[in-house]
Amino acid sequence: MEALRAAFDFSDFRPTERWVSRAVAAFLLVFPLLPVSSFAMATMIQFLMFSLYGMGWNTIGGYGGQVDLGKAQYVGIGAYTTAVALIRWDVPFWVSMPVGMGFAVLWSFAIGYPLFRLRGHYFAIATIAASLVLKDLFEVWDFVGAARGLEIPAHRFATPDFVRLIFKEDVYYYYVLLAFFFGGVLYMNAFRKSRLGYQLRLIKDNEDMARSLGINVHWAKVKTYAIATAFVSMVGSFHACYIKSIEPEDTMSLDLSILIALMAMLGGAGSLWGPIIGAGILIPLKSYFKEWFGARAGLVGMDLILYALIIMVVSAAEPRGIWGLVERYRARRESA
Amino acid sequence: MPALLEVMELTKVFGGLRANDGISFTVGAGEILGLIGPNGAGKTTLFHCITGFHRPERGTVRFDGRDVTGLPPHRIARLGMARTFQTYVAGGDLTVLETAMVGCFSRTASPFRARSRAREILGFLGLAGLADLPIRDLPVAGQKKVALATALGTEPKLLLLDEVAAGLNPGEIGELMDAIRHVHEERGVTLIVIEHVMELVMNLSDRVLVLDSGRLIAQGLPHEVAHDPAVIRAYLGEKYAARYLGEASR
Repeated sequence: MEALRAAFDFSDFRPTERWVSRAVAAFLLVFPLLPVSSFAMATMIQFLMFSLYGMGWNTIGGYGGQVDLGKAQYVGIGAYTTAVALIRWDVPFWVSMPVGMGFAVLWSFAIGYPLFRLRGHYFAIATIAASLVLKDLFEVWDFVGAARGLEIPAHRFATPDFVRLIFKEDVYYYYVLLAFFFGGVLYMNAFRKSRLGYQLRLIKDNEDMARSLGINVHWAKVKTYAIATAFVSMVGSFHACYIKSIEPEDTMSLDLSILIALMAMLGGAGSLWGPIIGAGILIPLKSYFKEWFGARAGLVGMDLILYALIIMVVSAAEPRGIWGLVERYRARRESA
Repeated sequence: MPALLEVMELTKVFGGLRANDGISFTVGAGEILGLIGPNGAGKTTLFHCITGFHRPERGTVRFDGRDVTGLPPHRIARLGMARTFQTYVAGGDLTVLETAMVGCFSRTASPFRARSRAREILGFLGLAGLADLPIRDLPVAGQKKVALATALGTEPKLLLLDEVAAGLNPGEIGELMDAIRHVHEERGVTLIVIEHVMELVMNLSDRVLVLDSGRLIAQGLPHEVAHDPAVIRAYLGEKYAARYLGEASR
């Protein structure tokens, strides 16, 4: 009950922040009613997906300070659970999504329990390795289509199919995802004010002090990692229904893992708005640059270079990301 | 007085160095025990061994009737033993209130209750005005007081303070002493205090233990310990101790 109230309580934010977030929420709600291209629509769906990935990453990576570069493996678990269940046994999305989350969380315990014995860069490297190993396993596993991947036979279903989450028009996907997005924001708003949220922030700052206060630091990290995983796997399930064709190389790639972490870090790790800001900036840049440089100017890969540059500049200027810049600007204005 | 903490034959070795060498003592419930000794005597190591941060090579630690030797720190903490650290250099973004809340969260899962408990403790230690400042903006003295507040949030039976008064000016030491006395009397917390500030340790302690080179060289009432030749020798070194003790007996 208290957690529910905390989720809807944004009163500790400043009035400007509350107005901006209301405006953004209103914009997101009416966006499909505007005369937008299908390309813009697809970009917005990517933005919402990556915001959710980033929120999940932000629990352990931002509040907990454990840089995780292996989130793609959980995207894969979610996507594959939903795709396999739908193709083989015609299981509805609303069943396969929580089942996928369950698998992903179980796998996250198996990975997280030993990996959280490591710290800092070693932990980050180990998460990359774990994710790549799972991807390699999926590439040779015939049951899930091996390296060829899986194709959801969308034509077999009468659209719009809200049970299996198969639609022809992106606008349906958009609203389903938008509901997830709002749910994610509310969850994160409660999380940051929960016992675990505060404990994690102390763990990030001073692990010994956390231990001396009776916090089982290892278990707190494993638990948070599971929460992050559940988020990511949920979006992975959605991804399978939305894209309809999945293969290990795109759902479990290192690129995806790094992109998830970078968006949250660029926007501001450890803040509620950070992942949303990060995705809001990088996703449009990424898709428009790719379109413009790749397709029009023939400069394939130029988008990646530009976007690496942006990240370097931001992290050199303010390691807490764009939200850190905002807070610094505010502090300066208030002290002046 | 029933013993709250019993340390028996505790030995901790780092490489060739015996940081704690066969240390035995007990602390009664409701006592304030001072722990002094020159730098490198093994005081902080002893704290680490008692609170589970170090695993001793030999010896046992019994707390509240239970053998806690070798238990991980968070388990020992949950039994009602809290501590502060010699250094607390905060780099994080937690405010004073939020830090104190983390201590209170060991007794409640409710953020609402943790917040009101934390406010109460901060008020009690005279920190209420600093509640919303980021802890990294506080001077060291302030950070140590916050660490004390946070430890109190766990509602400990036994509280180990590692040099809370270091770097404070005389006025602040007086305030801190009042605060510690208050904690002891109002909340019935048993205390072990490592301190170099003699004014604090001698005035506050019921009993004082003296460590030197990992060994317990004296224990007793504050004024007894202060006149113990072994203690004077440990602090001044053989040569100056001989001169001082010689003069004193003349």
